[in-house]
Amino acid sequence: MSETKGGGKMALACLLAWVFPGGGHWFLGRRVKSVVFLVLVLMTFFTGLVMQGRVYLANPEQPLTYLATFANVALGPLDLIGRRVFYERIIYIFPSESDPNLYQEIMRLNRAKILAVTHEYGTTFVLAAGLMNILLILDVFDIGIGRKR
Amino acid sequence: MAGVSHFLILCWFSLLVGAFFGTLTRATFREAFKVGALIALLMVGVSLIIAYVMFFLPLGG
Repeated sequence: MSETKGGGKMALACLLAWVFPGGGHWFLGRRVKSVVFLVLVLMTFFTGLVMQGRVYLANPEQPLTYLATFANVALGPLDLIGRRVFYERIIYIFPSESDPNLYQEIMRLNRAKILAVTHEYGTTFVLAAGLMNILLILDVFDIGIGRKR
Repeated sequence: MAGVSHFLILCWFSLLVGAFFGTLTRATFREAFKVGALIALLMVGVSLIIAYVMFFLPLGG
């Protein structure tokens, strides 16, 4: 599978890689690697969730949270599960104090999870899973344009 | 999760990351296994060395 893919197929492969860890490799015919990647990313992500890891919210007062949120969003639909588990809703932006109810609720959920001993480790696992998926998307792109065999 | 060992978490993380990069960067299972194992061992080893060095640093505050 070293031949160059068309633009449409390559875009589809990258999209599949984002939606489903290893999905791009499966689409390009690398079935065994695809399954290995799926298992590894899922294990990393769910280990993080079990350890009470945080899924980041973009906070304008803390610009680095944009990068962390991007790493989380790179997991595709898995990120939705993480947000649902951690915040009990799908939310991406840290609420401002002008919405006191939502602000208090998010702060309450944050404080509850931060108390866990493994919270920081869990956050690292969740972020690592997202970064792994970014590398998988880039790998699929490289394979698609023929840069990697 | 309170009773879980920090060292075991380090080993588990290193194993996952090593397996990932081994699979990503190598074509055959044998090569992937060798690279993955090397990465995992290096992660654990370097972390222990850093932890040992940091043990002598003052906590501050």
